[in-house]
Amino acid sequence: MLRAALRTRPLDSPALFYKGQTIPAAALTDTAYGGRVALRLDDPLALARAIIALDGTAERVLLLPDLPQETIATLMAQAGIDQLIRDSSELTAGHSDRPTEWILATSGTTGVPKLVRHIIASLTRMISASGWQEGQRWGLLYDMTRFAGLQVLLQALLGGASLILTRGDDPLPRRVAELAEAGCTALSATPTLWRKLMMTPGAETLPLQQITLGGEIVDADSLSALHRRYPVARLTHIYASTEAGAAFSVTDGQAGFPARYLDNPPKGIALAIREDRLFVRNPLVDPAYLGGEKHFADAEGFVDTGDSVIVTGDRVFFAGREDGCINVGGNKVHPEEVEAVLLSHPDVALARVSARRNPITGQLVVADIVPAGTPGDPAALRRSIEVHCAAMLAPFKRPALIRLVADLDIGASGKLSRTLPGSAS
Amino acid sequence: MTPIRQTILETYAEVVESQSGSRPAAPEDDRVLLESGLDSLGFAILVTRLEEAFGFDPFVESDEAYYPVTFGDFIRFYEAHGARAG
Repeated sequence: MLRAALRTRPLDSPALFYKGQTIPAAALTDTAYGGRVALRLDDPLALARAIIALDGTAERVLLLPDLPQETIATLMAQAGIDQLIRDSSELTAGHSDRPTEWILATSGTTGVPKLVRHIIASLTRMISASGWQEGQRWGLLYDMTRFAGLQVLLQALLGGASLILTRGDDPLPRRVAELAEAGCTALSATPTLWRKLMMTPGAETLPLQQITLGGEIVDADSLSALHRRYPVARLTHIYASTEAGAAFSVTDGQAGFPARYLDNPPKGIALAIREDRLFVRNPLVDPAYLGGEKHFADAEGFVDTGDSVIVTGDRVFFAGREDGCINVGGNKVHPEEVEAVLLSHPDVALARVSARRNPITGQLVVADIVPAGTPGDPAALRRSIEVHCAAMLAPFKRPALIRLVADLDIGASGKLSRTLPGSAS
Repeated sequence: MTPIRQTILETYAEVVESQSGSRPAAPEDDRVLLESGLDSLGFAILVTRLEEAFGFDPFVESDEAYYPVTFGDFIRFYEAHGARAG
């Protein structure tokens, strides 16, 4: 499908840009033969070329992010993979003609990721195919092995645009400079990354006509700031997850989504609100994790997204995670995990972790602590707790602020109340 | 030096020290904020701690979202807001 789309373009039209190199459509006709292969390629150009060469010829392709070796081995076994490609020279030339299954890992922050099976139709249902669009150039800031990154690659190549690749481990100003150099007109990023871009010198020069946001709650302030910065760009926010696939997009520049989507959902999906949570049915996504028994969809095919929603008039707004998960710049934090670490400190009697709204990362972790006994030196206790957390938690999980309080509100259920004034997302 | 600037510089040094282990020199005003030793998480923490110190968060309280690029932009944003708040 990808090579077929590229064949419709002028042979010398630029398909990929990467660090000053331009790869024309004519150079992307090679096919690779694969049964069930896993790709673990750091070089974005090698990865993009491998995806194009394997599409429609491999039986199954597992896209591996940078994960520990033992996790990779587990995932490969679950997906029944025969060959791990770590260098593009390991790809075997050859051809066959069959629909390829694309296996993507969920981006959970604890334990081994789960695998979801997609076909090109489930990955491309929101993409409108188009012939060659001279000058339209998508920039890639996401990891191509993740759902969002693969979406950008498919959007660019099936939508008749060029794709500008950047390296995830390069500093953001350099990536922005490379995007500007290659004439990036369309860019997709999380709201956190967009806010970072607005603080990055040079980003204001990007000639953007299309701005896409996804992966976190999109708030009205960020949308209006983007509109002021890039007045001619169309703003689209996408609701998608590895499990639900690309569900729907919103292009009216407002936060949330129109309530009429509940009755008249876009393009073949169904939406429902149950117990204040959003459920999505996307018949194109296999409703079970690969290699596991667990179905993430119910009997009717609806997937519980875990996202709490509030209907206000004719608009549906997102209100955070139903499980109390805190989203720090796209990284999920379970308050219970942080509370357990805090409680393991000898001078902590009670701990409550909550979210604090933040202009950069969307949310941050803050902690209220009831000390065991009367602390002699409150500042020293806070520092001691910080050191304790630093040894046991990833940086985004550590409380940004530790408040020492006399008592915590315990709800009628006997559970810690998770709603604090000012903690709403 | 205004009290606001002084608090920001002290809090900045604390956050960088807690992230990197060493205390930074005070950055020049034209230093790009995200290249001043703070990543976006560090910057987010700085804003949260300053809210505790000042009792206001200009990012939340201003009518339009504002994205400072340099350290000087950042300090002036707090000073302007502090002056308005009185």
